[in-house]
Amino acid sequence: MSSKISGRVSPQPCPHLLDFCYRNGSEPFRALQDCIRVKPPGGRAAIRREPFEVPRCGTCDESSRPRLYACVACAAVFCHAPPLHSHASAHALSVPGHEIAVDVDRAELFCCACRDQVYDRDFDAAVVHAQTITSTTSTSGSTVTQCKATGSQPDNLRKRRRVDYSLWAPNSRENAIIENHSIPLHDATNGSLISSTELPWGLRGLNNLGNTCFMNSVLQALLHTPPLRNYFLSDRHNRYYCQQKNGATLNGSKNSRFCLACDMDAMFSAVFSGDRTPYSPAKFLHSWWQHAANLASYEQQDAHEFFISMLDGIHEKVAKEKRKTHSPGTGDCCIAHRVFSGILRSDVMCMACGFTSTTYDPCLDISLDLEPNQGVSGKSSLAKSNNSCNVEADCMGSSQNCGISTLKGCLERFTRAEKLGSDQKFFCQKCQVRQESLKQMSIRKLPLVSCFHIKRFEHSSIRRMSRKVDRYLQFPFSLDMAPYLSSSILRSRFGNRIFPFDGDEQDACNEVSSEFELFAVVTHTGKLDAGHYVTYLRLSNHWYKCDDAWITRVNESIVLAAQGYMMFYVQKMLYYKASEKQAASWCDVRK
Amino acid sequence: MSGPNEDNNTQLSSHIFGDLLDSIIVDVASECHRIAKLGLDRNLEEEEEEMRLSAQARARVADPSNSSETNTKYVVDIFGQTHPSVATEIFECMNCGRSIAAGRFAPHLEKCMGKGRKARLKVTRSSTAAQNRYSRGSPVSTYSPYSNSTSTNRLSNGTPSVAGEEYSNGTYEEPWNKT
Repeated sequence: MSSKISGRVSPQPCPHLLDFCYRNGSEPFRALQDCIRVKPPGGRAAIRREPFEVPRCGTCDESSRPRLYACVACAAVFCHAPPLHSHASAHALSVPGHEIAVDVDRAELFCCACRDQVYDRDFDAAVVHAQTITSTTSTSGSTVTQCKATGSQPDNLRKRRRVDYSLWAPNSRENAIIENHSIPLHDATNGSLISSTELPWGLRGLNNLGNTCFMNSVLQALLHTPPLRNYFLSDRHNRYYCQQKNGATLNGSKNSRFCLACDMDAMFSAVFSGDRTPYSPAKFLHSWWQHAANLASYEQQDAHEFFISMLDGIHEKVAKEKRKTHSPGTGDCCIAHRVFSGILRSDVMCMACGFTSTTYDPCLDISLDLEPNQGVSGKSSLAKSNNSCNVEADCMGSSQNCGISTLKGCLERFTRAEKLGSDQKFFCQKCQVRQESLKQMSIRKLPLVSCFHIKRFEHSSIRRMSRKVDRYLQFPFSLDMAPYLSSSILRSRFGNRIFPFDGDEQDACNEVSSEFELFAVVTHTGKLDAGHYVTYLRLSNHWYKCDDAWITRVNESIVLAAQGYMMFYVQKMLYYKASEKQAASWCDVRK
Repeated sequence: MSGPNEDNNTQLSSHIFGDLLDSIIVDVASECHRIAKLGLDRNLEEEEEEMRLSAQARARVADPSNSSETNTKYVVDIFGQTHPSVATEIFECMNCGRSIAAGRFAPHLEKCMGKGRKARLKVTRSSTAAQNRYSRGSPVSTYSPYSNSTSTNRLSNGTPSVAGEEYSNGTYEEPWNKT
């Protein structure tokens, strides 16, 4: 299925529409623009010559039909009431060239000869423009593609020059250079249960240093995050060089004493060295504690918090070195942002006048709320898991969702238009007064790697305690993020018209795919403050369980059934699928 | 009592209701038609298939007759290795230079760096007392609490801190009192 990034999928026009456009161009549709009336806020577009005109069928004088169509050629209105009669079709038959009409209440084109709704880009553009006028400031006639009010279009989304991917292998001269200047790696696996040619490189246990499974689980995911792995294995942050540089400028300040990026570099080298004995990320812990000393207390052993904190730590060092200011969204500042940073768009629409205020914010991940209890008991424990499975079995027949939370469902909720409470009235610039508003989130720019964090805690203000929500969340191995993009969300807000919305041109130029592949899942078992983290990694299309020092291969069912806390997805074009020759290719390089 | 006027009104109102309902139905039909024609609709078959696979997987995992893969500790890993429950690799603490066992590095480092509350209170402790603290005793359970989590929104991986609970292996000289 082709990627549905933008609504550029334009259905083939029927021969009558084709003929109509050929003979008349887009003039008739633009002329209609003056007759498009939109009830704010963000309401449905209707066609009326006069604002309070009541359209009536020219043949039977009825005005209460559910479908009244105005002929685009002569503006005569007719009803269409199958199976009784269709005065609209009668008109089309009697006057050639008058087949195309427009639904007066819905601003949709209709071919009276084909008796079907048809679609035209120019007409849709006219409707969108009309709808936009009502939702922007009275001073500027800015279009939907800018949607400017308080927020400004992120200007750091400049086009990146695309380079075509090509397979590369060293030639004999390069091979000689590699041989002479490097130390060959050996897979030190002895007596493994899986033949050594199958074992992926970079798979190595991490020792638990004392309640550090929260750190180990995230590190395992990061060690196999393709763009991050490539960065460090390509020596883009050389720890010797970095230390040397910092040593030279040592001025006693704390910052020069540790570098999380250097520790990551050391970890990548160690983990991909071929040595399979568990690695102790002690230096990393030490550095992180130096970095996180002033942040929220290290006593909070939450994997997600660690993830954000260490990315920040890498950013601080690397961005400082490069002397880059924090440039959210582009990731020009450091590798952490280059990999994980995306941009979220937030729209707040005044419900009185339709004026929309837009802001853009960078994000390193997306935290999702679990849907509230959907009928299946939220207090699922191990004991009840069998029961919940039976409930599913019963429901399977009717192929319904049955209240099982899904990642897509959470994303839908995340991007849903939400009415802000009456206690949260937003100040509308157009109305100049606080009004009830509608808020909607969407993703303006997708990161290379999307990390989804599931908020698995419930806080009860009544009992003044929190508990963990163990409810199962279904997550797919492949995920298409297109429906959650700003362009898609905006498009649906404007009735799914064929029109380039915020982000469409950007995405079209870059041909950025919205398809993602799952490669790591961090799971948590246990209670809110007593539990254990484990990471599942997907390498060469096999799943491996990384439980601190213990790496085992597991069936994908285990992963599908696991309680996901953080899920890592990488853009499909960066995802390296199974390659039987993976191990062999490393051998070739060494020889 | 229903007179002719009442009948008229009832008829009229149900007529109006019928019109409104028809109009709404056409609204939905028109929207769905557009979504389908523009290829914006969801792939329901794919989603159903995903749900089916996940239900199957959960059933398989919940089935006690399947070998439990839940406990992978104390087993042989894919490289043919076994590991003790508490990591025994020894290395030097980068803060104080002492040799520490990996599995107890974090609690050591915490005090070594003066991070824990206890550590800050023990600023004047003698070095011999410190030596005793780091002596090898029974292995420390990986989940014993060495700090209490006061956060309400985080999933920690330590066991719950109960007031006055001691370090489980008793190697330390004093219990971790909660202040």
